[in-house]
Amino acid sequence: MATDNQNATGFGEVSRVRGIVFEYLSLGASVAGLVALGVLLVYVAIDAFDLANASPEWLLTYFLTLVVPFLAFCLYSADDAAVTRRVVGVLAGGLVAVAGVFTAIETFVVTIPRLSWQLAYLFVVAAPVTAYLAYVGSHGRVGAVGFGLLGRLVGGIAVGLAVGTLFLVFDELVWFLAYTLGVLPAAALYAYGRWRAAARAVTAAAPIGLLGLVAAAVLRGVVRTYPSDLVIYLWTLAIPVAAVGALVVAARGSRTAAVAAGGGPLALATAGGFLAGSVGLPGPTTLIVLAVTGVPTAVYVHRVVDVGEGTVGLGLPLLLAAGVIVGALVVEAWGVPAPDPWLDASYVTEAPSRNAAEAGLYPAIVGSVIIIALVAVLSFVLGVGTSVFLEEYTAGSGLVGSLTRLLQINIANLAAIPSVVYGLLGLGLFANLLGLGYGTAVTAALTLSLLILPITIISAQEAIRSVPDDLRRGSDAMGATRWQTTKNVVLPEALPGILTGTILALGRAIGETAPLIMIGAATTVFSAPGSLFSRFSAMPMQIYAWAGFPQAEFRYGVVAAGVITLLIILIGMNGTAILLRNRAERGS
Amino acid sequence: MSNTSSDTTGDESLITTDVETGSTDRSTAVGETAVAARDLDVFYGDEQAIDDVSIEIPEKRVTALIGPSGCGKSTFLRCINRMNDMIDVCRVEGDVEFGGKNVYDDDVDPVALRRKIGMVFQKPNPFPKSIRDNVAYGLKIQGFDGDVDARVEESLKGAALWDEVKDQLDSSGLDLSGGQQQRLCIARAIAPDPEVILMDEPTSALDPVAASKIEDLIDGLAEEYTVIIVTHNMQQAARISDRTAVFLTGGRLVEYDDTAKIFEDPEEQRVEDYITGKFG
Repeated sequence: MATDNQNATGFGEVSRVRGIVFEYLSLGASVAGLVALGVLLVYVAIDAFDLANASPEWLLTYFLTLVVPFLAFCLYSADDAAVTRRVVGVLAGGLVAVAGVFTAIETFVVTIPRLSWQLAYLFVVAAPVTAYLAYVGSHGRVGAVGFGLLGRLVGGIAVGLAVGTLFLVFDELVWFLAYTLGVLPAAALYAYGRWRAAARAVTAAAPIGLLGLVAAAVLRGVVRTYPSDLVIYLWTLAIPVAAVGALVVAARGSRTAAVAAGGGPLALATAGGFLAGSVGLPGPTTLIVLAVTGVPTAVYVHRVVDVGEGTVGLGLPLLLAAGVIVGALVVEAWGVPAPDPWLDASYVTEAPSRNAAEAGLYPAIVGSVIIIALVAVLSFVLGVGTSVFLEEYTAGSGLVGSLTRLLQINIANLAAIPSVVYGLLGLGLFANLLGLGYGTAVTAALTLSLLILPITIISAQEAIRSVPDDLRRGSDAMGATRWQTTKNVVLPEALPGILTGTILALGRAIGETAPLIMIGAATTVFSAPGSLFSRFSAMPMQIYAWAGFPQAEFRYGVVAAGVITLLIILIGMNGTAILLRNRAERGS
Repeated sequence: MSNTSSDTTGDESLITTDVETGSTDRSTAVGETAVAARDLDVFYGDEQAIDDVSIEIPEKRVTALIGPSGCGKSTFLRCINRMNDMIDVCRVEGDVEFGGKNVYDDDVDPVALRRKIGMVFQKPNPFPKSIRDNVAYGLKIQGFDGDVDARVEESLKGAALWDEVKDQLDSSGLDLSGGQQQRLCIARAIAPDPEVILMDEPTSALDPVAASKIEDLIDGLAEEYTVIIVTHNMQQAARISDRTAVFLTGGRLVEYDDTAKIFEDPEEQRVEDYITGKFG
C-alpha cells in the first residue's frame, strides 16, 4: 500500500524553495522601501530643525532632561524588570554599536554628510526605543493616565486651533444666529425629551432646529448689531463645552466637582481670551483653545482622581514641561551652542517672505486646514450617500439595474483618472461655469472632493458590503423599512470601515498639488484667506514654490520645515480620525 | 389526546426515541386559522420551489414544517412574511392568507405585514448593539410610545433570558453565548407583540442543551402566539409541535395532520419512509 511505502521513506520531502525565496524577496523589498523613506525623513528632520548644527552637549542636555525622564516614566508604568533590563541594554549596547559602526564607515568607506554619530544614535536607537517604551508604558495604568492627559492637552490645543482657523472664513455672525435660534433650542428640546421620556419633544427637536437655521439665514440680512466676537465664541462654544463637561462629571461625581470642572476652565478661558485680546493676541482663538483644552482635561483629571488608579500619571505633562524648561536653562547657563531650527513658532505664525529666515507658512496652513475640513465634510456625505444608494437601494435587474452597473464600473474607472484631469474639470465646472472663482478655497475644496470621491465611495461600498446579510434580514423581518435598516443596522456597523477609507482619501487630498495648479491656486499668498471666496494657497503649493527658489536656505531649510509641518498636520488629522474610528468600533 | 406516544407501545411509534408528541396541555382540536395558503406556487427563475401547496395553520398552536433539504419548507415560511420579496428571481403565484387577507394583494405593504409577524433565523443574528437596544429594536422602528424598559423586561422574561442578562442590559448582545443569542433574537421578535412567529430551524446551530432550552421556550410561546417552525430534527418536531406538515422533494406538501398522527400512523408510505429514516 502507498502509505506503507511513505512510512518506509519518512514520507519523502516536498520542496519549499520557491516559497522561501518569495518570502525573503518580499520582506527585503518592503524593508528596503521603508529604510529609504526613513533615511529621507531623517534628513528632512535634520534640515527642518537644523540638527546638523546641534552640538553634542546640546543633544546630551535634552537627552538627559527630556528623554531620560520620559523613559523612566514609561518604565515605571510598565513595571517590568525584564523590559527595563532590555531597554537599558539596547540603549547602552546601541551607543557602542552605532558609534563604532559610524566611525568605521567614516574612516574606511565614505564621509556621511550632515550626520554625526550622536544624531545617528538619536534616530536609530533612541527614537525607536522611546516609541517602543511609550507603547509598552501606555499599557500600564500610570502610563495610560499620563498619555490620556497628554492626549487631551495636545488634542484640545489642536482642535481649538483648527476651530479658530475655520472661523476665519466662516461668518461667525451666521453661526451666532444659527446656534442661538436653531442648535440650542433643538438640543434643549431633545435633552428634555430624553430626560422626561417625552417622545414628542424628541421628534420635535429636528424640525425646530431646522426652522431656527432657516430663521438665522433670513435674519442675518436684517439684524444689524451683534455682540463682539469674543462674546459670540463664549456664548456659542465655550459655555456649551463647559456645560457638557460639567454634565459628564455630574454623572459620576458631586455637584461641586461638576461646577468646578466646567466653571474653572470656563473662567480661565474667558480671562485668557480677554487678556490675549488686550495684549494684541487673537482673543477668540485663545478663548476657544483654552476652553476645548481645559474642560476635557478637568473632566479627565476628575475621573482619574475619582477612580484613584494611576494618579501619578497625571504628572507626565509636568515632567515633560519641566524637562524642556530645565534643558533650556542649562543650555542658556552654560552657553551650549544650540541649533536654530527653521521650524519654529514664527514659521507657523507668519507669512511667506523673500528672506528665508523670516519665511512662514501660516497662510498656507490656514488654506490647507480650511480646504481639508470642507473636503472631509463633502466627500464623507457624498461618498456615504452614493455608496448607500449603490449597495442598499438599487435594484439588481431591469433598466435601473443596468444603469447601476454602468455607474459602478465608471466609479472604479474614475479612481484611476490622473489628478490634473480633475483639476481641469474643476477649472471648467466650478471656476468657469459656476463662477466660484479661480484659485478660491471653495473651488479647490470642490475639486479635491471630486478627486477623492471615487476612493471614498469604493471603500465605503466595501465596508457596507462587509456587513453580514443576516443583520439586514433580521432588521427587515422586524418590519424595518430599508431606510431604517440602513440607518440603524448597516451604517453603524460599516462606520469604522467607512472612516478608514475616508482617512486614506483625505491623506491624498491634503498632499495634492496638480489640481490646485490647474484651478489657478496661488503658490504664495501673504495673508490667510478671509472667506471661502478669497484666494488661498495650500501647504504643498507653497512647498513646491519654495523648492524652486535659487537660495539654498529655501531649498533645504524652509522646504524641510514645510514638509515636517505638512506631515505633522496629516498625522494629527489621521490620528483624530483613527481615535474616532476606534471609539465607533468600541461603541458597536 | 396529548400524551399519545406514552400510551402507545414502542413498536407502534415510528420514531425510535421515546418522546411525547404534542404539547402537554393544549388540545389538538384545531382552532381558528391564523395563516392559510391556497394553491401556492413559488418559482426561483424557472425552478419550482413550491408546488401547489394548500394548508391551514391554526392560531396559538405550534406547527412544524419538516422534510428533506430543498423541499421548500423554508421557502414556504418566507412566503408568509414576504421575505421572499428580497430575492429578485423569486415569483409567487396563489394566495397566502393572514388574518383573512391575501398578503400578496397589491394593497398590502410588506413592511407593515412584517410588523405583525416575527421571525427567528437559523443562525442567531443579534444586532451589534446592547441587549436592551436589541430587544427594543422593533419598538423603536415602530415608534412605540409606551414604557420601553418594561416591554424589554417582559420580552426577555418571555424568552427565558431575563434572569441571565438583567444585570448586563447595556453590554453587547454579541457577548452572549449562541443559545442566549438565539433567545435574545426570540425576545426581539416578541417585543413588538406580533401575532405569528416564524422560526427557520432555530436550534440547528446550537448545542443540544441550548436547543432544549429553546424547545421549552417554544412550548410556552404557543400560549400567546401562533408559532410556525421549520426543523430538520424530527424528534424536535414530535416533541414541540401540535401539527406537522411534511414537505417532500419538489416542494409538495405530502401530508399535514396532528403531530401524533403523522409520527405514529401517517397515511402516506413516503412520509413513513422519511420519518423512519429510510430516505432524506
